[in-house]
Amino acid sequence: MWTTYEVFHQDKRGKQHVHVGTVRAPDPEMALVLAKEQFARRQTCSNLWVVKTSDVFAFSYEDEDMFATTPEKTHREAAAYKSRDKIEEYKKRKATTT
Amino acid sequence: MDAIKDLIFSVADDALIMGHRNSEWTGLGPTLEEDIAFSSMSQDKIGHANTLYQILNTEFGELDPDTLAFKRAAKDFRCCHFVELPTQDYAFALMRHFLFDHAEGLRYDLLRDSSYGSLADLARKIHGELKYHTLHADTWAKHLGKGTEESATRMQTALNESFPLALGIFEPGDFEGELMDTAVFVGEEVLKDSWLATIQPILEGAGLKMPDSNKVTPAFGGRKGHHTEHLEPLLKEMREVLSSEPDAEW
Repeated sequence: MWTTYEVFHQDKRGKQHVHVGTVRAPDPEMALVLAKEQFARRQTCSNLWVVKTSDVFAFSYEDEDMFATTPEKTHREAAAYKSRDKIEEYKKRKATTT
Repeated sequence: MDAIKDLIFSVADDALIMGHRNSEWTGLGPTLEEDIAFSSMSQDKIGHANTLYQILNTEFGELDPDTLAFKRAAKDFRCCHFVELPTQDYAFALMRHFLFDHAEGLRYDLLRDSSYGSLADLARKIHGELKYHTLHADTWAKHLGKGTEESATRMQTALNESFPLALGIFEPGDFEGELMDTAVFVGEEVLKDSWLATIQPILEGAGLKMPDSNKVTPAFGGRKGHHTEHLEPLLKEMREVLSSEPDAEW
């Protein structure tokens, strides 16, 4: 049965596979064969994955409101930690003791 | 020298004409993805021809690649009849791709051990490309051979019609003995046997029946410059843009 497969491209061994698009194919083998020329024709590639689109479990866009207040939660951003100040303070202290 | 030149012209002309024929499917492929894949492989073939013409140019004093591709007379081409045949349906295109690319891949495998360095280097360089071409061909052969009754019948018909033409790939050139003696190439007979042994199990796995090669008359002539009536019109079309303005700088 022809269906869609999601394609994940790996630039180099050890790097993560990144989703790059979709191909239509009758089975996973053909999906890989076709994905190669669609997504690894003009860029370096070390490996490809294909996953049947119907096998991807996803949230519904109706639930997008779950993520609505995330941008406000700045305390969760690394930048919220005043590490820069602490480092500067440490450096100053070290400079005065030596 | 003439022996190596003759071999390179055969391989290069096969690649150019096959690449051109396959490129005729650009925009007409059965699905978008397949259209792109098939077109991309046609470009690979024309690229291989270009590299081989460059070798002829720089190492044998032949004219530049563009002149060899676009201005040579049909009788000076050394391609086999198989690549000249107009494309009929996609079953034929895929079957020709399967039969031709396996022969091509195996030929380059053998050329990796060639005493002629430039050929051995090219064979090593394009190994991965050719591996993909045969994987693509095998995947389609299996898919359609094991598909519906119609797809299986059409693939079998294409195989039966293609087979004598495919055997024409292995027509020995005028310098076969010399190529073997100087370890440039092991010869068409070795290549043919290796090809038969390679494709037979794949075709079987696809539910297709390979014709008996001993009961088939191979389509010979191309390697000696005798071509089908299809080569001239192909060259004319391929050269259409160039001949509209022969002195233009590209």
